[in-house]
Amino acid sequence: MAVLGLTVGIGLWAEGLGLLSTLTNVFLFLLLTQAWNLLGGYAGYLNLAMAVFFGVGAYTTGILAHRGNWPPLLTAPLGGLVAVLWAAAVGVPSLRVRGPYFAVLTMILGFLAQVLAYNVPWTRGAMGIYVSPLPWDRRVVEQFFYFTYLGLALLVTGMAARIQSSRFGAALVAVREDEVAAGVLGVRTTWVKVAALLLGAFWAGVAGGLYTQRIGYIEPTGVFSLDISVDVVLMAMVGGAGTWQGPLLGVPLVMLVAELLRVGVVHLGLFGARIPVEFNRVVFGAALIFIALYAPQGLMGLIRPFRGRRLGV
Amino acid sequence: MPLTLLTEAVVNGVLLGLVYALISVGLSLTLGVLGVVNMAHSAFVMLGSFFALELLLRLGAPPMLSVLAAAPLFFGVGMAVDRLLLRRTASTSEAMGLLVLFGLMLVLENGAILVWTTDTRVLPWQMGQMVLAMGGLRVSFGRLLAAGLALTMILVLDFLLRRTLLGKVVRAVGQNPDAAAVLGVDVTRISMVVVGAGVATAAMGGVAVAMMFPFAPQEHLRWLAWAFLLVIVGGLGRVRNTLVAGLLVGQLEALSGILLPFQYVYAVVYAFLAITLILRGRGLQAAQERTL
Amino acid sequence: MDVYGRSPEIRVVDVEAGYYPEQTVLQGVHLVARPGQLTALLGPNGSGKSTVLRVVYGLLRPRRGAVWVDGKDVSQVPAHQRVGLGMGYLPQGRSVFPSLTVEENLEVGTWTLLRVARRAALDRVYERYPALRAWRDRPAGILSGGQQRMVEIARMMVTDPRVILLDEPTAGLAPVAAQEVYEEVARLRREGRTVLLVDQNVRAAVSLADYVYTLAFGRNQLEGTREEFQQRMHAVVREWLRV
Repeated sequence: MAVLGLTVGIGLWAEGLGLLSTLTNVFLFLLLTQAWNLLGGYAGYLNLAMAVFFGVGAYTTGILAHRGNWPPLLTAPLGGLVAVLWAAAVGVPSLRVRGPYFAVLTMILGFLAQVLAYNVPWTRGAMGIYVSPLPWDRRVVEQFFYFTYLGLALLVTGMAARIQSSRFGAALVAVREDEVAAGVLGVRTTWVKVAALLLGAFWAGVAGGLYTQRIGYIEPTGVFSLDISVDVVLMAMVGGAGTWQGPLLGVPLVMLVAELLRVGVVHLGLFGARIPVEFNRVVFGAALIFIALYAPQGLMGLIRPFRGRRLGV
Repeated sequence: MPLTLLTEAVVNGVLLGLVYALISVGLSLTLGVLGVVNMAHSAFVMLGSFFALELLLRLGAPPMLSVLAAAPLFFGVGMAVDRLLLRRTASTSEAMGLLVLFGLMLVLENGAILVWTTDTRVLPWQMGQMVLAMGGLRVSFGRLLAAGLALTMILVLDFLLRRTLLGKVVRAVGQNPDAAAVLGVDVTRISMVVVGAGVATAAMGGVAVAMMFPFAPQEHLRWLAWAFLLVIVGGLGRVRNTLVAGLLVGQLEALSGILLPFQYVYAVVYAFLAITLILRGRGLQAAQERTL
Repeated sequence: MDVYGRSPEIRVVDVEAGYYPEQTVLQGVHLVARPGQLTALLGPNGSGKSTVLRVVYGLLRPRRGAVWVDGKDVSQVPAHQRVGLGMGYLPQGRSVFPSLTVEENLEVGTWTLLRVARRAALDRVYERYPALRAWRDRPAGILSGGQQRMVEIARMMVTDPRVILLDEPTAGLAPVAAQEVYEEVARLRREGRTVLLVDQNVRAAVSLADYVYTLAFGRNQLEGTREEFQQRMHAVVREWLRV
């Protein structure tokens, strides 16, 4: 509650736009990570293509706003819907394969989406799309997105908490633990997986749809970047995949570390004047290895080591 | 003239296909024998390319020599990967094993960017730039050499797997690790050998790639996609099938290269890959138990 | 026809074991497989017979207790080093490497031998099991169940083990093939090897055995010589059916 009060306070009265903007990014990734967590965390399907849903949402807004100046409150949900359509067309068949095959398949679908975004006529390819900014004061615009993302992140977190204790959540976990057995015991595994995928795609699409309006410019490499997909997985794993609290811990922590690394590396001047983003990613890769080896439950596993442990089968 | 164009495309397809096959055999081997999808596989291909570059720049060693040096070095690296990273996750869950390798891929890729930057490199190698003209046909000498190298390595691996006792034991472990252990085979050591061989062939494939294409650290995932395609088309673990699949995909790329603009070739290959994965992924999973 | 001299003795002392932390399959099992004798280990399904063999061969570490081979505690020796101790193990169910040829299957069996001894070991096995010569270049997976079983036994015999653990060697075989397998088991016993046989077929096992143990719920139940068991067989079987 205190944290919530503080974030609202910051949103209303913070001095610098920098802090607002950083926190807006935190909420954006919280939204994406919760969306990923439904299929990736609860059901254990390692989706490496959240960026595709995000990018589809971003381009939906981009095209609509560019052509017809549609307002963001309308284009964002439309972006979510288009992402759902895309997920239904491409993602649903992918759910036929499991484990590492699914992970690689989603990665390749990500590349495919990127290649398509470069080459189909209505995305303007590598030139990207400019969207005129909202006609308000910069600060108000930033606050608008701050509270919109905050509200959505809270909404989806609440939804995830509800799902976790529902039959739907239990069915997703059953799919993760043993899909064949779950199917034999009467869980409609296909339906459950599809629902989690489409729900996640919707929120990622909404997040992307707002992103375009906020940033004002999109191009394929940025919004379909594998880095976005990887960050989402990392944040969920750090916090604890398959718990609604996991993203709440993982997202801020990873972003804080990223920020510290950026500042720290610049200060130390380790690699000359250049700020090597790649240094972050080396650390994050090592973090993934560490988590997989020593803390497969993430921070949540350390906080409550005796609950929710996998059966030792 | 169009006939020459076609012949050139076919010849190029063969050369490409051989190199693709070398890049892929390791992925197929680790997947077939150990059931491990090495997500970091293509990162080792990329490292092999830079290994060739460094040896050439620092010591003036031609790529044919770097291949020989890469083999034992990367074999050791692969054994270490198995010992330090994979053995721990083998007993927990498949997802964690995948995550470890994914993390390793990020570390290798971005570590390479820190060292070599994101610039695209070409192997500054005089001999490779030569062009052989036979009749009306023009073939790059570098490509020819890379393909010959790849073919040699594939045949050596095929021989090792089919004719030596170690190779038979590796295949046995792939089919029934428990039965192999009962006969006195230390399965954990065999698994180190398999991952070592997988990584070594990836790096040797990387040297061959450097002889054929420009390369950059962040572009290696393309090779992972290609290797996957070959594994899916050719099935698991059988070196010869991977070779045939490589030649097929090489032709596909070379021929669609004359018909389509360059960027659509990727779209075609990725789409083809996604579809075959969806259609054959399950069968492949089931086939994992009865391969080699 | 004891051409090998004395074979080792197997002693299982107070073994407790299970596959997961919460589960205990064996709760203090004792048994002795005497040198050169055939010891049968019988019991109803789920009594832990196969688990005893797994512990004896090092495929499962005992949580308590120990396994002794000729006075040496081998409880901590991993399975893949058991061949070096002169032990052989025939797992339950099919275990050939299906797409390796029969010869290649046998070659895998020579893995622990010195390079120079491998060819001779193969020749000896072909001499011992002449029928294998005809199938040597066929993938083992296409052979019949009985033929595959012979390949598995031959593969185990490549190293000429003096202690042999057999886990239900005739399960799932046609009667004729099962009869052949029992004849082979009798031959192993005649050659003076120490044999520990787990079997569902009580009558056949008892008639081959020198000494019999029965297990129930992971504990020792009865033990005695073949003669004692042949008299009490009906009572024993009836009791199992009730269990």
